[in-house]
Amino acid sequence: MNVKPELDKSIRPLRAARKNNGGTAAIEVVQDLGLLIVIAIGAIVLSVFSPVFLSRLNIENLLFSSTIIAVIAIGESFVILVAGIDLSVGAVLALSSVLSVGLVNDFGAPVPVAVIASLGVGALIGLINGLNVTLTKIPALIATLAMLTVTRGLAFIYSGGQNIAPVPDFYVTVQATRLFGVPIIILLTLGLGVLAHFVLTKTRFGRSVYATGGNPVAARLAGIRTNRVIVIAYTISGVMAALGGLMITARLEAGAATAGQGTELTVISAVVIGGVSLFGGEGKIAGVLLGVLLLGLVQNAINLLNVPPNYDYVVSGLVIAVAAALDVYRRNYLEVGLRRRANNPKFEPRK
Amino acid sequence: MGVSASATAEIGGAGEADQHKVVLVADRVSKAFPGVLALDEVSLEVRSGEVNALVGENGAGKSTLIKLMAGFYAPDSGEIRIGGQLLRPDPAAAHEAGIATIHQDHHLIPSMTVAENLLLGRWPTRFGVLSRASMLRQAETVLDQVAPNLSPRKLARQLSPAESQLVEIARALAENSRVLIMDEPTTSLSGREVDALFDTVSRLKAHGLAIVFVSHWLEEVFAIADRVTVLRDGRFVGSKPAAELDHDAVIRMMVGRDVEEVTTQSVAPGPVVLKVEGLSRAGVIDNVSFEVRAGEIVTLAGLVGAGRSEVVNAIFGADPFDAGSVSVGGVALPPGDPTAAMQAGIGYIPEDRRRQALVASMSVRSNATLAMLKAVSPQWLIRPALEDRIMDKAVRTLSVRMASADVPIATLSGGNQQKVVIARWLAREPKLLILDEPTKGIDVGAKAEISEIIVRLAAEGRAILLVSSELPEVLALSDRVLVMRAGRIAGEIDRASLTAERVMTLATIG
Repeated sequence: MNVKPELDKSIRPLRAARKNNGGTAAIEVVQDLGLLIVIAIGAIVLSVFSPVFLSRLNIENLLFSSTIIAVIAIGESFVILVAGIDLSVGAVLALSSVLSVGLVNDFGAPVPVAVIASLGVGALIGLINGLNVTLTKIPALIATLAMLTVTRGLAFIYSGGQNIAPVPDFYVTVQATRLFGVPIIILLTLGLGVLAHFVLTKTRFGRSVYATGGNPVAARLAGIRTNRVIVIAYTISGVMAALGGLMITARLEAGAATAGQGTELTVISAVVIGGVSLFGGEGKIAGVLLGVLLLGLVQNAINLLNVPPNYDYVVSGLVIAVAAALDVYRRNYLEVGLRRRANNPKFEPRK
Repeated sequence: MGVSASATAEIGGAGEADQHKVVLVADRVSKAFPGVLALDEVSLEVRSGEVNALVGENGAGKSTLIKLMAGFYAPDSGEIRIGGQLLRPDPAAAHEAGIATIHQDHHLIPSMTVAENLLLGRWPTRFGVLSRASMLRQAETVLDQVAPNLSPRKLARQLSPAESQLVEIARALAENSRVLIMDEPTTSLSGREVDALFDTVSRLKAHGLAIVFVSHWLEEVFAIADRVTVLRDGRFVGSKPAAELDHDAVIRMMVGRDVEEVTTQSVAPGPVVLKVEGLSRAGVIDNVSFEVRAGEIVTLAGLVGAGRSEVVNAIFGADPFDAGSVSVGGVALPPGDPTAAMQAGIGYIPEDRRRQALVASMSVRSNATLAMLKAVSPQWLIRPALEDRIMDKAVRTLSVRMASADVPIATLSGGNQQKVVIARWLAREPKLLILDEPTKGIDVGAKAEISEIIVRLAAEGRAILLVSSELPEVLALSDRVLVMRAGRIAGEIDRASLTAERVMTLATIG
C-alpha cells in the first residue's frame, strides 16, 4: 500500500501526456468549431430578423455569391502559408475576365482556348510574382502591389475601360448548371477546397509549404527547395484568381476590367479570419472556407436587412474586426483554459 | 521545509528584523503543458537576505517555476504566497506584491534614458508636466546602490548587457521589491562583470532582499548561493544550505546518477569521405584544406568567431564559398546548394537548433522526416506508414523521449529536440555527419547521450565532422583536432598528443 502511490507518481507524466494528446485534438476541433459557432449564432440571429434567410433560395444565394472569394482565398492561402502575401489577385481576376471574353469575341478563339489562356495568364502572373519575391527578393507586399497596378492597367488597356459583351454562352451555361439540384459552381468550389486540403495535408508539396512558411532556413537546410515552393504557391494563387475571373465573367455576363477592385483585401481578411497565420506555416483550408462563409453571411445580412448601401463598408469592417478579436480571444483564453483542463492530472479527486 | 525562521530573526537588530523571514512560498505547485508535466508538486521557500539558487537540467522545470512566481502562469494546483498572501496569477499583481524578475533578455526601452527606464510608468511630474530634474535625482539615488558610475542620462540602447542588467536591478530597487528573481543573469556577462554583479547581489542581500538565482554554472552557484534548490524532471529533489553541498553532490541531485565520461573508440580510419581543398570565403574563411575519413571523428576547435561554423556552413552549402573545392566520396559539390550536399551524403546538424533546424509549428514526426520527404512520399503522397517507420527507428536508436510523435516539437526538451534533428539525418544514412555544437544548450544527461551517439556513429563507419567549443568534449571525442584561428587552420593535433593546453595555444596564439 505504501508502494502504490510511488508507482502512481511515476506514471503520472505519461498519463498526463496521453490525456493532453486528446486535449490538443479537442482544441483543434474547437478551434475550427469556433468560427462555425460564430456563423451559427449569426445565422440564428439573422433568421429571427429575416424570415427569408433560411429559405433554400437565400442559402443557395449566399453560398453561390461566396464562391468567387472562396476560390481566390484558397489560392491566397498557399501564399500566406509560405509567409508571403498576394495583393494582385483582384487585378488578375479582372484581366482574366476581359481576356476570357475578348479572346473569343475579338480573336475568334474557341472557348476552351480562351479559358485555358486566361488561367495561363493568371499562372504566368503568379509565376512572375513568385520569381520577384524569391530571386529579386522584392518584399511580397511591394512586388504584388506593383503587379496589381500593372495587371489592372493591362485589363484597362485591353478593354479600353469598357465592359466586353456578349459573353460566350458556355460561361452562362456552366453557371446555370446544377448537379443533384445544387449549382455546379458551389460543388466545384467545395471540390477545390477538398483538393487544396488534401494537397496541403497529404502530399510532399503540402508538407514543404508548411515547412517553408514555418521556418524557411530550417526547411532549406533540410533539402527543401524553398524558392521553388514559394514560386509554386504564388502560381497557384494566380491560377485561382484567374478562375475567379472566369466565374465573375459568367456572373456579370461581361468581361469587366473594373471587376474585383479591393477583392484582395476581402480575400486576405477571409484567410486570416479562417485562422491562417500571417507569419506563415499555420492554418487550414477548412478554416479559410469558414472565414469566407462568415464574410458572405455579413453581406447577406446587409442585403436582407436593407442596410443602406453606404453603410456596407462600415458594417463589413466591423464584422472583420469583431471576428478577428473573437479569434484572438479564442486562441488566448479558450485554448489556455482547455489545455489546463485537458492536461491537469490533478483533476481526479485526490485521496 | 517549513522551518520557522523567527528564531534567527530575533537575534538581529531592529534593521535586520526582516532577515531570514520567509517572503515567498511556492506550496506544492503543479503545472502541465501539452506533452509535459512541467512541475509536479514542487515547493520552494525564499527568505529575505538569502540567495536561493535554483538549479536543474534543462527541462527540469526552473523556468516554469519562475514564471509561476512572477505571475505569468497560474498553477494547476498548489499555491504561491507572498508575505502570507495568495499571489494572483497576473504579472502586474506579482509586481505590485514586490516580486521583480530579471529576465535573460533585457526589457528596457532602447530609445529612453536610464532614468526614464528606471522610473518607467512612474515618472515624477510637476503641475502635470514631467519633471526631469526630480527624475534624475530619484534615479541617481537608486543607481548609487547598484551602479554608481552609470549616468542616468545615457540612452538604454547604448548600454552593455551588464549595464542593462544593473539598470533592471535598480528598477527593482526603485519599486521597493521584496523578491528579486534572476533568470540566468550571467549568460551575457564577462568574468569581471559577473564579479561585479555578485558584489551587487551580496549588497542587496544585506539589505534584506530575497533573491532567487537561476544558473547552469555550478561555480557561480557556489560563489553566491546561501541555499541550493534542485529540481529534476519537474520534481523537487532537495533544498539544502550551500555549505552542506559540493559540486558532485549537486550534479548527482540534478541527474539522479553519476555522469560517466564518453570517449571515442578510435577504429582504423577508412577511405577519405570528405575532401576540402583551398576553401575560401571572403572575410571569413581563408584557404582551408583538410580531409575526413570514414570512421573518424574530426573536430574543428577554436575560439568563437574563428570561422569554424563558417567552414561547415560552406561545406554543406548553407552559405556559398568563393574559391576552393569540397567533395564527398569523390563528388564535387556546387557552392551554396544544401540539397546537393545532402544528396551527396552529408547530414548537417546546425548550431542554432531553433533557427536553423526546427520547424516549431510542426509535430515531432514531421520534423523528424523533413529531410526525408521524398522517401516518405514516393509518389508525392505522404505515406504515414513510412513516416512511422523512420520515427520508430529514431525513438528506438536515439531514445527520444516524448508523449507522442504528434506533439509540437517545441514541447520537447532541448536534448530531445536535438535527438530528433540527429534522427532526421540518420534516416538518410549519411556518409558524413556534420555536427555544429551538438550539445549546446542541452542538459548534462542528454549531453552524455549525444556524445555516445556520436561515438557510435563513427564506430559504424561514418565520417564525423564536429564543431565544439567545449574543451572536455573536444578532448573526449576527437580522433583528430583542427584548431582554427582567424578563418584559417592554425594547426592539427592527433589524438596521441591531444591536450587542452595545445588546443588553447593554437587557438589563441597560432
